[in-house]
Amino acid sequence: MKTVYRTILITLLSVILVAFSAAVVHANTAPVPAGVILEDGIAQPLTGTIEPEKDTCIQCHVDGSFTNIWTPFLRWVVFGAAGVAVLFGVARSASVWKTRSPWVPIPKRILGWVDERYQLSELMEPILSKPVPDWQRRWYYCLGGLTFFFFLVQGVTGIMLAFYYKPTPAEAYASIQFIENEVLLGSAVRMIHHWSANGMIVMACAHMLRVFIMGAYKPPRELNWVSGVILLVMTLAFGFTGYLLPWDQRAYWATTVGTEIAGSIPVIGQLAFIFLRAGWNISSLTLSRFFGLHVLVLPLVTVGTMLAHFLMIRKQGIMKPL
Amino acid sequence: MSEQKHEEGVPFYPDHLALEAKVALGVGILVVIIGIIGLFIPVGVGAPADPMDTPAHIKPEWYFLSLYQLLRFIPKTIGATAPVIAILLIMVWPFLDHKPEKTTKIRQIRFWFSVIAVIIIIALTIWGEVS
Repeated sequence: MKTVYRTILITLLSVILVAFSAAVVHANTAPVPAGVILEDGIAQPLTGTIEPEKDTCIQCHVDGSFTNIWTPFLRWVVFGAAGVAVLFGVARSASVWKTRSPWVPIPKRILGWVDERYQLSELMEPILSKPVPDWQRRWYYCLGGLTFFFFLVQGVTGIMLAFYYKPTPAEAYASIQFIENEVLLGSAVRMIHHWSANGMIVMACAHMLRVFIMGAYKPPRELNWVSGVILLVMTLAFGFTGYLLPWDQRAYWATTVGTEIAGSIPVIGQLAFIFLRAGWNISSLTLSRFFGLHVLVLPLVTVGTMLAHFLMIRKQGIMKPL
Repeated sequence: MSEQKHEEGVPFYPDHLALEAKVALGVGILVVIIGIIGLFIPVGVGAPADPMDTPAHIKPEWYFLSLYQLLRFIPKTIGATAPVIAILLIMVWPFLDHKPEKTTKIRQIRFWFSVIAVIIIIALTIWGEVS
């Protein structure tokens, strides 16, 4: 009985909402009869020429002559929500009346539909129902997870920056300035990418120290440690390659010195030097090489190693300290 | 969770997942705040790169600064090789130290070793930053 009352209430409220919004919109957009102009809401006799009627169309938003985006947006939200509420109320009353059984929430129906086909709950059952012991619910067990969180942030903001960045010496600097000054929220995204990189390095080091101090690298978790060290090196490589991309003085000379230091390693130094610089000097080839490493090679290797890292944790669990 | 309860704990879903979601939300809010700060104080870029003009002071990012500072006092070849060997040593460490632990004493040694290492690295970084 309660459900029926609620249904009636929702339907009535929706109708009132729609009627109210329609009245407001109508009052704001009602056409003024030709030959009459309104001044403070009072009709005045027409003098002079009639202004051609302007259409607040999509084109006006594109060419910038009409900048008020919020009124149409709010109108769409109000009407959309009201329409969805009405449709939902009607469908719900109809369903309850037709089946003579309580209403099943929409998310539950969708889950049921998927589950019927792929038996996902069978797969998720052991993961979801597994109890988490209290000793695992300590702050120092979330450091690795936070590193992963920052990696996801880096992925999202990095893709956003890659949409506008141009990896050539002639255009890289200007494209960074374009991101900072012209692109909507560009400076915010770049700031997040910059600080989240630092956060990722700090969290990765903290996570490694935690594992080291607690001795969680001991058998049978050796490969977990090895993959973790690879991930840390990858993170530092991200930092090194990403630092050159703005192509300013600091970036250029830090990379000059950095590659020079790498070049002074015996045996493999020369090879590393040539590989990093793509030649003897830092040039446009170096920039596109660092860009390729930063956005293609390193993410792929990192995601693959991370997957292995996580699967090993999933299989072996977290080491229980003494 | 009900019949065979070996140790005290909470179910992963929904209790632990809710905790993780709260942590993620907290860090997410921090990230958004950093973004809002970035709208007013952008990261910015320095002067455009000029291969003809070497600046007086070249500094790498802070996470390479301690190594860079170390290079001022030891020969370049040793300074460049040491980190590579250190990383290789760290990587094979589990195969060198593989005996299961009986007491927590060894863990305290590792703790103080880590603390000293971190203090040295932070000191080198600050030194590199101010010099």
